[in-house]
Amino acid sequence: MTDFDAIVVGSGMSGGWSAKELCERGLKVLVLERGPEIKPDRDYVDQLPPWEEKNLDRIAQEEIDKHYFKQYPGVAYAVKESNKHFWVKDDDHPYETVEGTDYDWLRGYHTAGRSIMWSRQSYRMGPQDFTANKDEGVAVDWPVRYDEIKPWYDYVEEFAGVAGNLDGLEQLPDGVYQPGFELTDAEKLFKTKVESSFPGRNVIQARVAHLTNPTDEQRELGRTNCQARNRCHFGCAFKAYFSSLHATLPAAERTGNMTLVHNAIVQSLEYDPEQNRLTGVRIVDAETNEHRFYSSRLVFLNASPIASAMILLQSKSETFPNGLANTSDQVGRNLMDHISGAGANGLIHGFENQKIFGRRPGGIYIPRYANITEKDKPYSRGFGYQGGASPLGNAGGQIPGIGREFKEAHKSPGPWRISIGAFGEQLPNPNNRVTLHPNKTDKWNNPIALFNVSYGENEHIMLQEANKDAAAMLEAAGCTNINSNTVNLTVPGNRIHEMGSARMGNDPDTSVLNRWCQAHDVPNLFVTDGSFMTSAACQNPSISYMAFTARACDHAMKLMQENII
Amino acid sequence: MKTRREILQGLIVSIGGSSLLTACDGFAKIAPTVDGELRFYSSEEIELVTKISDLIIPRTDTPGASDVNVSGFLDGLMAEWANAETRENHHRDIKRIGGQLGDSFRELDEQDAKNKLANLDTRAYAADRPDEYSAYRSLKGLITQAYFASEEGRLLEQQWVAVPGRWNPRVEI
Ligand SMILES: Cc1cc2nc3c(=O)[nH]c(=O)nc-3n(C[C@H](O)[C@H](O)[C@H](O)COP(=O)(O)OP(=O)(O)OC[C@H]3O[C@@H](n4cnc5c(N)ncnc54)[C@H](O)[C@@H]3O)c2cc1C
Ligand code: SF4
Repeated sequence: MTDFDAIVVGSGMSGGWSAKELCERGLKVLVLERGPEIKPDRDYVDQLPPWEEKNLDRIAQEEIDKHYFKQYPGVAYAVKESNKHFWVKDDDHPYETVEGTDYDWLRGYHTAGRSIMWSRQSYRMGPQDFTANKDEGVAVDWPVRYDEIKPWYDYVEEFAGVAGNLDGLEQLPDGVYQPGFELTDAEKLFKTKVESSFPGRNVIQARVAHLTNPTDEQRELGRTNCQARNRCHFGCAFKAYFSSLHATLPAAERTGNMTLVHNAIVQSLEYDPEQNRLTGVRIVDAETNEHRFYSSRLVFLNASPIASAMILLQSKSETFPNGLANTSDQVGRNLMDHISGAGANGLIHGFENQKIFGRRPGGIYIPRYANITEKDKPYSRGFGYQGGASPLGNAGGQIPGIGREFKEAHKSPGPWRISIGAFGEQLPNPNNRVTLHPNKTDKWNNPIALFNVSYGENEHIMLQEANKDAAAMLEAAGCTNINSNTVNLTVPGNRIHEMGSARMGNDPDTSVLNRWCQAHDVPNLFVTDGSFMTSAACQNPSISYMAFTARACDHAMKLMQENII
Repeated sequence: MKTRREILQGLIVSIGGSSLLTACDGFAKIAPTVDGELRFYSSEEIELVTKISDLIIPRTDTPGASDVNVSGFLDGLMAEWANAETRENHHRDIKRIGGQLGDSFRELDEQDAKNKLANLDTRAYAADRPDEYSAYRSLKGLITQAYFASEEGRLLEQQWVAVPGRWNPRVEI
């Protein structure tokens, strides 16, 4: 007898799904979360009005230097005085980079992980993303095609709730959507101009994981319509955006099958060579430093790609001297992110007599066209742009004038500004990796991460081109005052879409996981956070993690029923 | 004119929520610094900052910068948020702006002071945004942000709505 049927490591975006799916199939599930509990009533600050924010919601500069020297510069738009408890303190959670390289590991350790702080952009991968490696002879082939994952996208979107439009684009397949957030007239003009000047390019509504017409199930979970406040980085009393805390964990909880333990830092997974099975999980309690062992028949690793790779690397045994399930030597390698730092903004004209009401959570999206509808590119793969057009307003005080007129000017919406920024695909490269630091440990005696990640030529060329394309599209829309500064490529990890550290593939010699996110080497181990990604595509990835997780749970359950695991 | 509490309660009723009541109870002032207890500025500095802030954002049919204690707020911001380098820079900025406005500025009556500041503002916001006026632009930015972060600035001036409840991409003015 084991303590639990299944253990899920991590309660974030993907761990929440593992918990829900396994609990709903009747398994007794233990969720181990390294951080403390987040209680919305106590810890959310989305209802704090601006005048109650301390110091314009800025974290004191000395405190940044001491505790948030990576998190704050990495993601300043979301790390604030009022919500700093959603972010790790860098001095408590150090990591290092190989000389000459840099890495942003941006994260929060607590119930629901980064699903509390994410920006909720949710785009499916398209058919081309699953065949690109094979077509180009890059890395290894995906062992899955779009058609296989499609029903699982349908399934997770229906439960999570995604607002968007049906746009009929092959490379960015439509999903199961609630009504989207309508474009502003300026965005509609931009759409018309771009689509006529550049046939094959499209401007569509952002697809965001927000409720705009909740289903009965979503209402039963206490979730309601998005109120268009754009306070989502601070939590949401309305539970209107998808997070593990609003949706999957409560769904798991209501089955009565979930045990969620906080402050449980998973250190390693215990392997029995005789049965070739995991027997359980070793943890250290973050508060008491007590060590514990929990046994189970099945383990789902959902600690996020860097942490999951590190747990595998820490789980050394005679059978796996280089880390668990690592006979391919691919654990920790092929670490990818998306690349940004190219784009443009400018003023768009003809809307001076309009303003907007409400603060919507997403704007426009320009799906990838490079090497899809336009084949003449000096780089492979491509990028999408996120952006939007809205009144610039006059806040910030940076307009000329003083006195009544200056004050009154803040009542007017001001000119309209449009801005777009690229999110591009980074190619897999086995030399981009995270390893265990050879001699440094954190305060729980776990090796700290050592990163060695840099970009290749393709990434550099792609972003240069993305910058030019952005300016050209704004010009086509008649924009003025166009800024398209020199490309400033983001630090690896900065897009917070780290992935690929235990890739899936057909061949156990060259990949860690099979097509079900199941370890080739160890049948009762599944890794369903972004570690499995064989290539990065350019779409924000979380909805894909959800779909692959739900599919993996379904498969694991079948294997259990057949007594294979 | 409605009181702040009435306006806020109006907002609560309009979205039909009770959970928001707690968030709206007890109004925090945009004033980390208690009257008279300066923590950062000297008395000359705060006098200058107050005068400038009231000229930039005067009292009209809605409160002005002093009414919401903008300079007291900046005093607290520098004391609590800024590090030693930022504090030093801010002291230097104020000195610089004082120099650009001239010693007599403090004594000028409202109209003359307004003309003088308007003149400085015009130079500071010339197309090439001259470096020598970056101190003024930075102070103006802080004053404006502080004002519009205040309850009055946000609600009365900007008609900020805590819970819009819906998105409307097109409101004709
Ligand atoms: C500001 C921001 C904006 C973003 N915007 C988007 C977006 O628009 N669209 C999108 O698709 N994605 C976005 N992301 C990325 C998204 O949040 C991640 O892709 C997603 O959360 C990853 O899910 P995960 O389950 O792998 O990791 P997480 O959600 O981070 O969860 C991992 C969990 O595991 C726990 N854990 C880690 N190590 C251990 C251990 N050793 N033992 C036990 N528990 C452990 C952590 O505490 C955490 O709770 C954004 C992220 C941020 C921060
Ligand atoms: S904008 Fe919508 S999802 Fe975001 S915090 Fe407000 S109600 Fe919640």
